[in-house]
Amino acid sequence: MRRKAGLILLALAVFFAALSPLVRWYAFPRLAKIPAGQYQDMVLEAKDATLLDYGTMKARKVSKVTIVQTLKGNVEASEKIEKTAGKDVVVWDGLSYVVGPDGKMVSKIPERYIFDAHTQEPVHATGEMVDDDPVKRQGIEFKWPFLTEKRDYEYFDAQARVTAPIHYKGTQNFRGVEVYYFEQTIPWTKVKFPRAMPVEGITPESVAKTGTTRWYTTVRKFWVEPLTGAPVYGEEIHQEELRGGTLLGGRDKVTAFAGHVKMREDYIDHTVDLVKSNRTLVLLMTSYLPWGFLTLGLLLLSLSLYLEARSRRPGDPEPTKDTEPEPVTA
Amino acid sequence: MRALIAAATGLAVALALVLTLTALGTPAGETSPKPLLTTVPAHP
Repeated sequence: MRRKAGLILLALAVFFAALSPLVRWYAFPRLAKIPAGQYQDMVLEAKDATLLDYGTMKARKVSKVTIVQTLKGNVEASEKIEKTAGKDVVVWDGLSYVVGPDGKMVSKIPERYIFDAHTQEPVHATGEMVDDDPVKRQGIEFKWPFLTEKRDYEYFDAQARVTAPIHYKGTQNFRGVEVYYFEQTIPWTKVKFPRAMPVEGITPESVAKTGTTRWYTTVRKFWVEPLTGAPVYGEEIHQEELRGGTLLGGRDKVTAFAGHVKMREDYIDHTVDLVKSNRTLVLLMTSYLPWGFLTLGLLLLSLSLYLEARSRRPGDPEPTKDTEPEPVTA
Repeated sequence: MRALIAAATGLAVALALVLTLTALGTPAGETSPKPLLTTVPAHP
């Protein structure tokens, strides 16, 4: 009986010991994924910003410019792309909608971002775009990969349509969460006018005819929770200028937008809470379960060996053998 | 020999469990009916 129990414990010990690395290195990369149907919105604000009045073509100070950013997982599109990509893919249809202090639209830029559901690597497929221009992204956008490392990453800038390094600048504590701080600077770059302009009748084509060009620079800052790869907070010091051409009435340049864009307070709280709960799930698969299973496996193995040793003690009766009786000679 | 069989059984069950769970995967869900926002939401 003791031997049987020892064997069962040994089987359980091997079961749990084997589960430990399997959960961490086999199951985690296959199960930890961004859900294809995820929907999220974010509100960012630039207080005391400078905004171009297209009526007078003069920059003016405004109390606030609001950016509403929505990301919507397109499940049908991701399933279609997965058939050829051979991996789990997420398709995010996004919209950055900028609202002036009067509640009117300043600009709106739609995007389609396609990426690997676990690694965050971009996946190239028809439909990938920024403001209806086909693009081929390199690097990450919006989110870092699970188990973010303390190193620089390549980050795609949707305004300039370029990929540039975003530098790891250190580890910080943000509202009780350990985060990695990343910073990217996009130098003054000539960029396209958005397809949707704030004034009716003005189109990117009609502006282009005047010879006026649009320039942009930004310093992008992200505080990223490293286990989930999710930014818990973000800021941008964003500047846009119109330069040259007949539209400016002899001036060299005029500010189209300048502001320090920050996440709205209620969205920060919401994001921190969300990331904290998702962080626990990632910890479960990368730490709690693997270490728990390994400890349990070792305990069961010890118990199994103890029972085996006890069953072999010399004082204990020998196990009965089903042997034929020896023939007795007369 | 019995110990070897017990260990192999434990390993096989662990492999089978993890392979089944990963093969089942996580549900993709559905595309949200909510629109891409063009107004400022009052709260998250």
